[in-house]
Parts: sequence; structure tokens; C-alpha cells
Amino acid sequence: MRTRFRNMSLQIKLTTISLMANLFVFFINIVLLAGINIMSRRIDTVYQANLQLNELSVSLNQVQDSMTEYLNAKTSDSLENYYRSTQIYSEQAEELSDVVTGRLLDRMEYSIRNMSEAYLDEVAQTIEAKRGRNVEKIRSHYEEATKLYGYISTYIYSLNNEQFKENSENYREMVSAFKGFEQGGNLILIAVIIVNALLILRLTANLISPLKILAGRADEVGKGNFDFEPLEEISKDEVGVVTKAFNQMVISIRDYVRQMRESAETERMLKEKELMMEAHLKDAQLKYLQAQINPHFLFNTLNAGAQLAMMEGADRTYEYVQVMAEFFRYNVKKGSKTVTIGEEIELVDNYIYILNVRFSGDILYEKEIDDSLVNVKMPSMILQPIVENCVNHGIRDMMGEGRIRMKVYRQDDKACISIEDNGIGMSPEMIEGLLNGTPVPGIVKKESNGIGMDNVIARLKLFVGEDDVFHIESEGEGKGTKFIMYLSTDCRETGDV
Amino acid sequence: MTPKNRRYNSIFIGFITLVIVALTVVLVLNFIRYTNRFAFSSDDTPYDRYYVMITDNPKSSFWQSVYKSALEAARESNDCLEMISDNLSRDYSVYELMEIATISGVDGIIVSADESEEMTELIDRAAANGIQVVTLYNDNSASSRLSYVGVSNYNLGKQYGELILKIAQEKKFTEDKIEVVIFADVNSADAAQNLMFTAVQETVDSENPEKRSIHPPIELTIYGVDTTSELSVEESIKTFLLKDRESLPEIVVCLNEMDTVAAYQTVVDYNEVGLVDILGYYDSEVILNGIERNVIYATISTDTEQMGRYSVNALTEYFEYGYTSQYFTSDISVITKDNVAQYMEEYEDEN
Repeated sequence: MRTRFRNMSLQIKLTTISLMANLFVFFINIVLLAGINIMSRRIDTVYQANLQLNELSVSLNQVQDSMTEYLNAKTSDSLENYYRSTQIYSEQAEELSDVVTGRLLDRMEYSIRNMSEAYLDEVAQTIEAKRGRNVEKIRSHYEEATKLYGYISTYIYSLNNEQFKENSENYREMVSAFKGFEQGGNLILIAVIIVNALLILRLTANLISPLKILAGRADEVGKGNFDFEPLEEISKDEVGVVTKAFNQMVISIRDYVRQMRESAETERMLKEKELMMEAHLKDAQLKYLQAQINPHFLFNTLNAGAQLAMMEGADRTYEYVQVMAEFFRYNVKKGSKTVTIGEEIELVDNYIYILNVRFSGDILYEKEIDDSLVNVKMPSMILQPIVENCVNHGIRDMMGEGRIRMKVYRQDDKACISIEDNGIGMSPEMIEGLLNGTPVPGIVKKESNGIGMDNVIARLKLFVGEDDVFHIESEGEGKGTKFIMYLSTDCRETGDV
Repeated sequence: MTPKNRRYNSIFIGFITLVIVALTVVLVLNFIRYTNRFAFSSDDTPYDRYYVMITDNPKSSFWQSVYKSALEAARESNDCLEMISDNLSRDYSVYELMEIATISGVDGIIVSADESEEMTELIDRAAANGIQVVTLYNDNSASSRLSYVGVSNYNLGKQYGELILKIAQEKKFTEDKIEVVIFADVNSADAAQNLMFTAVQETVDSENPEKRSIHPPIELTIYGVDTTSELSVEESIKTFLLKDRESLPEIVVCLNEMDTVAAYQTVVDYNEVGLVDILGYYDSEVILNGIERNVIYATISTDTEQMGRYSVNALTEYFEYGYTSQYFTSDISVITKDNVAQYMEEYEDEN
């Protein structure tokens, strides 16, 4: 039965509980009502005896009246009346008590019963005498009967009084008992209601407790914790179904998460492999290039060329070759080190000089340097690629004289380096693309020569440790471009970048 | 919730439910029992026999005392005894009550009778109906009554005579004669009363001549008291005692409780204490008080306990053995100032 109850649906369970509770109240009510019923019947019977006595008294009067009437008129009607009333009276008298007990009322009834017999006998004799027309007998019997009638009337009256006394007493006690019963009944009803509420509370708590557990688990799942035993299915109702589904769901989610993790791991491994392949390839390319352009070899060769030019008295050639050697040596020496702004400017000077020799003085190069900032540290190979960019993209394809202006100045507590050209300029999209490192149409990455702008910007950002270190300004097509770098003046960073 | 908890839970629920149901049932049953208890509160066990007691003036403490002891005796033999006049809303005469008892079909009647012919007839009629009649205190010797229970009237008369002599000898009477008036029942001039008067007379007459010489001669007269109703008794006695102070008797003898109380009350009310010596009958509280206050000289009391018991026993004996004694005599005792304290104590103990 217990299992059957557990397997019912929630709706039926709740209905059953409330039905049971109501039935309980109903049952108690029925019992109390039965008590009240019994009581009111008792109260009714209290005065029943009085009613009976009154009826008896009425019948007695009828007997006496009908007898008198017969004596006076001697009609058959009155005789009939006499017989009928006598019949009724003797029947009623038969119901009176015929035992003598300790109860006064019983004894009085006993007396009335006996007296009634005597009375009826006397009345019968009177009637008989009337029939026999014996006037003397009629008178004596009539007097006797009337006397008895008086006694019986007094007895009935007295008995009625006694009964009324006793009944009033009973009635009072009944009413007080009734009140007591009423109070008791009310108390019990209150108790029943309280107990009912408790029972419903307990039973519904039983139904709801798995739901609470379920909610708690769902909360944990929401926080990402899947590691617990599957919930026990206590019942087979709706809650049981939900619990089952929940367990299934948790298992599914757990599996799914595991699969996701595994595939992510695989992907990561593949990427790593690819990157390594690329790095190796780059390494190989570099080694190859290094092998080809051994700086020492190049440097020594150039030195040899410079000495040759000096010997031949070609001073300009000597200088040119010397500068070139200096330029390459910088690459070899400072390749990946922190340098000062002064050293970087020197490299730019050399680069412009070489270019100007190459392109026969096409580029007008202006400098405006705050000497106090020359010793501020910065990563190597920053300014030269920017200038190279200015030359390659800004000036080279333009008509007229190309100009490059470099300024080193202090702004707030920052050392600022600006490089400005009067070339073709850049569109805002291009600037945006350059700063974010995304490919921009119109700018072809020339990897073969030097270092890309994105590399420069990335290294600068890493060095300074902030994002906002590199600005590009251009007022549009043909209006030139301005690159501004902001370096911390107290930067004493010496590590490799 | 573990299955164990669940089991405790259902046990708990079942227990609470049972408790409530039990409480309700107990309440209802208790109530029914309670109403039953008072609905049939009086004793309704059937009795073997039904006796009635009929007396004149049943409310007097003398008859109440007799009735009480008779009732006890009846209870002992599981018989019912009833003073029928107690239950009726009308006052009936002794004769009417005799008639009622007879047609009520009782088993025995205890009646304080008289010697009238009417009473004889009534007793005979009852006897004819199979009802045994015991006369109590006042006999009807001519009837077919079963027994007579009472005091010996001769003894009673002797006691009164001796008391009269005692008063005559003790008190220094200066009058030329000592007038003694005996209150008698004018309605029942019967043999019993006559016997008693004779006894009083004889006792007075047989006084030692030596002693007789020290007091004036004693003159006995009988005054008939009208006993037709309760009120007439007192009125009659009052009239007698108030006629005029000069002609008041020296001693009055009362032969029943009512006469005694009426005489006592009149003497006290009209400041005649000391003028009249009262010889009373019975030992009610009022009478004992009268003795203590020197208003009543002495009273003769019958053992009412014996009277009540004997009257019921006579009936019981008859119904059990088919015969019983014709006469039962109860003891009498004289109460004077000397021993009144003892009786008062007894009286207080009883109440």
C-alpha cells in the first residue's frame, strides 16, 4: 500500500492527503454530532413523562365526564363515549409502573395504577346500576367513584409536580452537561484542526523534500559541479520523473563537457605542432641567410673597401663605405638590445646618408633633438624601420622633394620622438590597420627588407608596458604622415626585448 | 528522508490520529454515562413490600423521628415505607389517607388510629383487601388490625401521677387546692385515654397519707382540646390558658408533642412562667429547651426509635412467619431539669 501510494501521481497524492484530512474532521464531527443528537433526545424525553401524565389526566376527566353524562342522559352516544374513554384510560394506566421501587415516582405511578383499577371498577358498577335503575346504588357508587376520581386527580397532579421538579433538575443538569460537551467538542475540533494542519505539513514536506534536494543539486550543477552520485528516485510520481530526467541530464552534460575538453586539447596540440613547424622553417631560413650574410664577413669586406677608397684618395667613397659598415655593424652589435635614443638617431643618420648617396640627395633630413633626452633607453631597431617606411611608402613615389623631420622633445614626463614626412599620407583606415596589425589594402608587406611596422609597434608596447605609445597622424592623401612615440624618461630597462 | 524516518513519521501520524479519535470517543461516552447517571439518579431497585405510614400532623418532630427509625427498619428487610401525605399536594385526613392507601394496593399500613367506628371500618376494609394494618401510638382495638405499637397508657398515667405528686410535694402551694388539668383529645374519647386518666387518678389517690398532709388536695380535671385541625389545637390551648390569671390551674398535663409546645409557647408569650407547671410529652428540641429554662417541669418521652422499628417489624414478622404479637410496647422515660442536659447532648449528637 505504501509503495502504491508512493507510485501515485503528485496530484492524486495531494488530493488523497486533503481528502483524508477532511474525512478525519468529518468523522470527528459526526461523532460529536451524534453526541449532541443523543443529548437533545435526552432533553426531549425529560418532559415526555409530564406529557404522558397530562394525557392520562385528560383521559381520566373524559371517563368521569362520560359517566356523568350517561347518568344524566343515558344516551347511546354517551355510553359509547364512556366505553371509548374507559378503553383509552385503562390502556394509558397500563403503561404506569407496576413495581414498587426506591423511586418515589414509580411508587406514585404504582398507586395511580391500582387506584385506577378500583376507579374503573366503581365506574363500571355505577353504569351497571344506572342500567338496572337502582337509584340508591347509582348514588352510592357514583359518590364512591367521584371520591376515587378526586384521589386519582390529586395523585396525578402531585406526581406531575414531583416529576416536574425532578425534570427541571435534570434539565438544568442536562443543559450544563450540554455546555460542557459543547466546550469539549470545540476543544477537540480545534485540536483536530491543529493536528490536521501538522499532518498536512508533514505529508507535503514528505512530497516536497525530494524537490528540495533536486533544487539544491540543480543549483550545484548551475555552478558547474557535476560530481555527485545520481539522486535516488524515492517515488514514481512527477517528482520522481523529474529526478530521473535530472539525473539523465547531469550525465549527458558531464559527457558533453568531457568531449569538448578532449577536442579542445586535440586542437591545441595540432596548432602547437604547426607553430613549431613554422618556427623550425624560419630558423632554417634565418640560418641560411645568416650563412649568406655573415655580418663579420660583410663588415670586414666593407672595411677593406673603405681602406681601398682612402688609399685611392676617394674620400667620399671612403665615407660612404664607412657609414655603410657602421650601419651594418649596428645591426650586428645591437640586434636585440636596449639602446639609447642617441644611438638610434645615429643609425637613422647613417641610413639617410646611405639613401641620399643612393638616390643622390633626394631626401631632406631635418633633426631637432632635445639633448637631455639622448640617453633615454629604448628598444633597438625602432626608428630606422619607421624612417624606412617613410621613405618607401611616403616619399619614394611622390613628385618633388621628399622631407623627413625628426624631433625629440619632452612632453609632460615623457620623452617624445616624432618622425614626420611630407609624402603621400595615409587614410584613417590604413592608420587603424597599421596600429592594430591587421592587413591593410595598399600596404604590401615587404618582408625581405628590414622589420615590419607591426613588429616595431609591438616591441614598443612591450617595452613601455602600455598600449598608448605609438601614434600615427595624417591629414589625408598627399599631406604627409607623422609617427609619434612616447617613452618613459625614467625608463632604465636594460633587458632584451 | 530516509525510509526509517518515514516509518517514524507514519507511526507518529497514526498515533496522533488515534489519540484524537480516542479523546472524542471518551468525551461522547463520558457524556452519555453522565446523562444516564442523573436520568436514573434515584434508587430504582424494586422493593419486596410496600408499606405506608399514616399519621395526623406528620410534620411534627415526634412523627418524623418515628418515621425515620421505621424507614431504617424497612430498608433492612428491603421493604419500602412511605409517609404518603408527604407526596400529595393536598392535605387529606387520616381517614382519606387510609382509603387511598387501601385502593393503592399497598402491602401494609402503619396508622396512628383512633377508636372511632369509621377508623374501625377502614381498617377492616383494608384487611379485607389483604392489607395488614398496624396501629401506632393510638390504637383501634375494635378493628381487625394486626398489631398495636405504642406506650402502655397505664404506665404513662402512673408516671404523670407521680410527677404531679412530686410537684405538689416540692412546691409550697398556698392555694386551697392544687388544680391539675389534663389536656385530652376531644375527638377521640377512647379507652386508652380513659385508662391513662384512671392511672393518673389512682396514683394521686394512693399517695402516702403523711405526704398528702403537707400539700393542699389535688384536683384533677380534663380539658378537651379541639384536634379537628392543626390550627385549632393551639387556639384551643391558648384560649384555656388565657382566660384569667386567677383561675389558672397549677399544673397542666399535655399528652402529645403539639399540646406541649402550644402550652409552652403560650406560657412564655404571656408571661405566665412560674404560675403554671407544664408536664409535657416527647423530647423535641423545643421541649428540652423549655425544661432547661424551667418553663416545662418535666416531659415524658417515648422511645420513638423503638416505636418506628416495632411497627415495621410487626409487618415484616407477619409476612415472613404468618403471625406476630398483638402488642408492642415501647419504653418511656421521664426528663426533668436534672437529666435534660444528657438528652440535649444526645439530641445534638443526632443532628
